[in-house]
Amino acid sequence: MSGARDAILRRVERALRTGRIPSAPPDHRGDEGAAPVAADARRARPDAAALLDRFVLEARALGVETYVEPTAAAVRDRLRTLVAGLRVLAWNREHLPYDCGSICKGALVGSSPRADQAGAEVGVTGCHGAIAETGSLALIAGPGCSPTVSLLPPFHIALVGPDDLHERMIDFLIARSEALAQSSNCTFVTGPSRTADIELSLTIGVHGPGRVAVVFGP
Amino acid sequence: MSGGFAERAREALGNRQLHIALDRTTAQLGVRRAVGLASLDDADRVRDRARASKMEVLHTLADSLRAFEARLVENGARVHWAETTDDANRIIVEIATKAGVRRVAKSKSMASEETHLNAAFERAGIGVVETDLGEYIVQLAGDRPSHIIMPIVHMTREQVGRVMAQRLSVSYSDDTQTLARYARGQLREEFLQADMGLTGANFGVVENGAICLVTNEGNGRMVTTLPRVHVVLMGIEKLVATMADLDRFLKLLARSATGQKLTAYTTLVRGPRRSGEDSGPDEMHVVLLDNGRSRILAGETAEILGCIRCGACLNACPVYRSVGGHAYGDVYPGPVGSIVTPGIRGLAPFAELPSASSLCGACREVCPVRLDIPRMLLALRHEAVDRTPQPAALRVGLKLFARVASRPRLYRLAAAIARRVLRRRARDGWIRRAPGMARGWTRFRDLRAPAAVTFETAWRRRAARKS
Repeated sequence: MSGARDAILRRVERALRTGRIPSAPPDHRGDEGAAPVAADARRARPDAAALLDRFVLEARALGVETYVEPTAAAVRDRLRTLVAGLRVLAWNREHLPYDCGSICKGALVGSSPRADQAGAEVGVTGCHGAIAETGSLALIAGPGCSPTVSLLPPFHIALVGPDDLHERMIDFLIARSEALAQSSNCTFVTGPSRTADIELSLTIGVHGPGRVAVVFGP
Repeated sequence: MSGGFAERAREALGNRQLHIALDRTTAQLGVRRAVGLASLDDADRVRDRARASKMEVLHTLADSLRAFEARLVENGARVHWAETTDDANRIIVEIATKAGVRRVAKSKSMASEETHLNAAFERAGIGVVETDLGEYIVQLAGDRPSHIIMPIVHMTREQVGRVMAQRLSVSYSDDTQTLARYARGQLREEFLQADMGLTGANFGVVENGAICLVTNEGNGRMVTTLPRVHVVLMGIEKLVATMADLDRFLKLLARSATGQKLTAYTTLVRGPRRSGEDSGPDEMHVVLLDNGRSRILAGETAEILGCIRCGACLNACPVYRSVGGHAYGDVYPGPVGSIVTPGIRGLAPFAELPSASSLCGACREVCPVRLDIPRMLLALRHEAVDRTPQPAALRVGLKLFARVASRPRLYRLAAAIARRVLRRRARDGWIRRAPGMARGWTRFRDLRAPAAVTFETAWRRRAARKS
């Protein structure tokens, strides 16, 4: 195989001497490029209330249900109502904020048999980042935080706190770069699963969850 | 596929179903793109920077590939290099055989269309199923995709309903919600049973070896989470340098493709499952495909390797909107296909494609990376003309024209004669068959009859009146 590798790299190097590749202006990296962390420190972070408002606006436009609760107990009550009567698949208890693990006693988890997970009716997760600009939830795979929870059930509930909010995706990528490096998979969920493959007509809930709810706590 | 572009285009122009389907979608996608871009602050600057960073990666492609490979290996992935489509297919079938794979679930991948990977799997006795709704219907129908992001843009929902009723023994429906539910039911089992997930890559990030995949349906997540083997097949040009660059491209990709701010699922994969994680593949392989890309990089059309496959140029192109994707005769249709296809398959069999454009520039206008597609189409036309011996009549004719045109009195005389002959042939101001050597012009289009008074004469008369 190293034969193919060397041959391709050799051809690429030769091509670079003759190819007509437009030049890149030297200053194109701008503020978020060369020294992203320093640039980020200069940026004023919008206050949490403004970020929450923006997130809710964007998420609702995508068809996501949003609930903003004043207390941890209210978050748990909301969750209890949402999952009532449904077979629950959840992140491991210690990873659910607001002590919501107590609501998900006996729930299936990421290490349960695959077939059982596939039969779950609702998936309950926390969240590693909520991107206000796009209404996206960032979920980093890790021990006790299986991606199957936000993927297999037809209904996904995410529990989000004020510290999870970021204005832009790049802010999240910078803030959580170490956690990202430790994980094999990070997914940004932006609204329910959808397709428009047939005549552009919007259809919700193809392979992933067709219903997504976000519960904000204090 | 038969004949050349002209023949296929003629067939397409007579296909009413195709026109209904194309009309229902392409214009709408163009509007959605415009609205999507309008929602991006400073969109022009984001595009400039995206273009610059892509060109920079191309300028350093050999080093970038080496660095990317090193990061992939650190992440625990195995890296393979494929010079040709056959090599890629052989490598992937070998990986599957070694791992005892019997079922493969595929997320949408243009690179795998390019290598005809499904046929290779089938020859090896390995089952393979497309899981993107559009690609799944293409597979059921034994058809070919006709758009980069909307594979069945050429089908009406009635046609889709008939295919599903026939192949899945479900009752006929032309309700898209019902059709999507049929597919979900069938494919759910495939995801759970598959031993291998096969994906392309929307982007490969050089600085950390992350593979970025975007899907709206969630199939990309399924095939990278559930099967025990994950194989990525990607062209060597799909790199971005940093996560900041990736962020910029993600802002542009979904907006340009469908008008969304972000695709429903954007996944970053960094190697196989790590210790303690409950899901994810045991092994991950990345196959880097050349297949003519290094040849494209060496020439006039190197810039096209900056394409991020959003499909916006297809929706904007008046030719694509009239003839659809199949007329282009290969995997990549539309303006981008007219450059990529001759690049990877050779110019000779596809020499007509660069001419399948009016050079109106709509493609360059909408391209998120601002690729100068008209310039590259012209460069390929030049190359095609240089390579093919031109007929003697054309060579002599052009020489003759040059002589006449550079002698003003002779030119005026010749023009007067030509004008008289042409005007006599015109009906309702149009000439449908020009005489002599000019006949070639009217083979594919009508010619407007020349005006009674030439511009030059009118100008002189006007000047005379004024004085």
